[in-house]
Amino acid sequence: MLGRATRNARRTERYLDGLVAADERRAAEMPVDTATDPAIRLATRQLRAGLVRVHPSFRFEEALAARLAAAADRLKAGLPAELPQAPVAGGTLAAFRGVDAAGAVVDAAGAVVDAAAAESVASATVVRGLPDVAAHPRRPLIVGGVGVASAAISLGAVYVAWRHSHPTSGRRRSGVINEILGVVS
Amino acid sequence: MLATSEEGARPARLDRDRGLVEAARRDPRCFDALYRKYLAQVYSYAFYELRDHHAAEDATERVFMQALAGLPRFEERVDAFIASRPVTAASGVASDLADISTFRVWLFRIARNVVANERRSDRRRPVSPLDDAIGLHAPDDVAETAAAREAGSAAWQAVARLPEDRRRAVILRFVDEMSTAEIAAVLGRSEGAVRVLLHRALRSVAQDLRRQLS
Repeated sequence: MLGRATRNARRTERYLDGLVAADERRAAEMPVDTATDPAIRLATRQLRAGLVRVHPSFRFEEALAARLAAAADRLKAGLPAELPQAPVAGGTLAAFRGVDAAGAVVDAAGAVVDAAAAESVASATVVRGLPDVAAHPRRPLIVGGVGVASAAISLGAVYVAWRHSHPTSGRRRSGVINEILGVVS
Repeated sequence: MLATSEEGARPARLDRDRGLVEAARRDPRCFDALYRKYLAQVYSYAFYELRDHHAAEDATERVFMQALAGLPRFEERVDAFIASRPVTAASGVASDLADISTFRVWLFRIARNVVANERRSDRRRPVSPLDDAIGLHAPDDVAETAAAREAGSAAWQAVARLPEDRRRAVILRFVDEMSTAEIAAVLGRSEGAVRVLLHRALRSVAQDLRRQLS
């Protein structure tokens, strides 16, 4: 015989699992379990809206990837993987908002960001490592500490920013486009 | 993902990340794939726990460095609370288990320890730069993002006031979208205990939100 607390906890778990399942199948409507305590539903709604996945800056991601690659090389050579003595260069909070109709990166006021600023955008965004955007399209994602309401806007800006920082690598550019499209499709 | 073993009686687990883990164990440079896959999740966990981007970056770096160095010792195994679950089609557990990555659980155990050490060693917590991060909004939908900002800020404040174990469970559930079994494995608690933790945490958050609204 289950106690009341256990029954309520299990009901809450089923409700939460139902929400995740609805997200995964991209259901238009979220399940409504009237047996679930309205307070639980309220808190769940607020937490799902408020606790968004956060992604570090592109600069941080790549710097740490390089350090891990160096450590991996040491391991492969039979040496110990040295633990870092100092943190890798951190990303900066970029005033990055989105793209305008022409595809240009714009700031909070809607003004087009210049090339230098766009390059800094490249350090605060990410090209790879966004599997969760596709899996959970409704969940907003913060990139490099900046709130981005729409994954599509973010990915478009990522591409623009990437082009600024890689002006000559056309072949890689098409790879990035495919990568971005792969994420959103 | 489950496969029937030679004996036929017990299904053998095929971990979601098994291929990536085995590749990384053969060649440490292949660890990059695991790093890219779990970077945002680990960083998010550290960010919500430490409430500071720079501290979260430091913690994230330590987590992945430790994971890389410890990968040869990592053994894909099922934790007692997960292994004890009946694996039958009727119970519906099979599909649940298919979504479990023992690597992710192991990685988040490292993250939990690193973050706990960081919190102990650094008392100079900023008030809440997280609010600033959440508060930045797109220029084309001011009303909606203002509401989202308010909701996010209120939710975070409510979560930040939770006791440590409840807060961790909430972050793992809502930010990292872990199942009860995974959270139990990460926190070293039983699934029943995690269910109750989450339920009580949500009730506390609801009360807190009502107070804030009133």
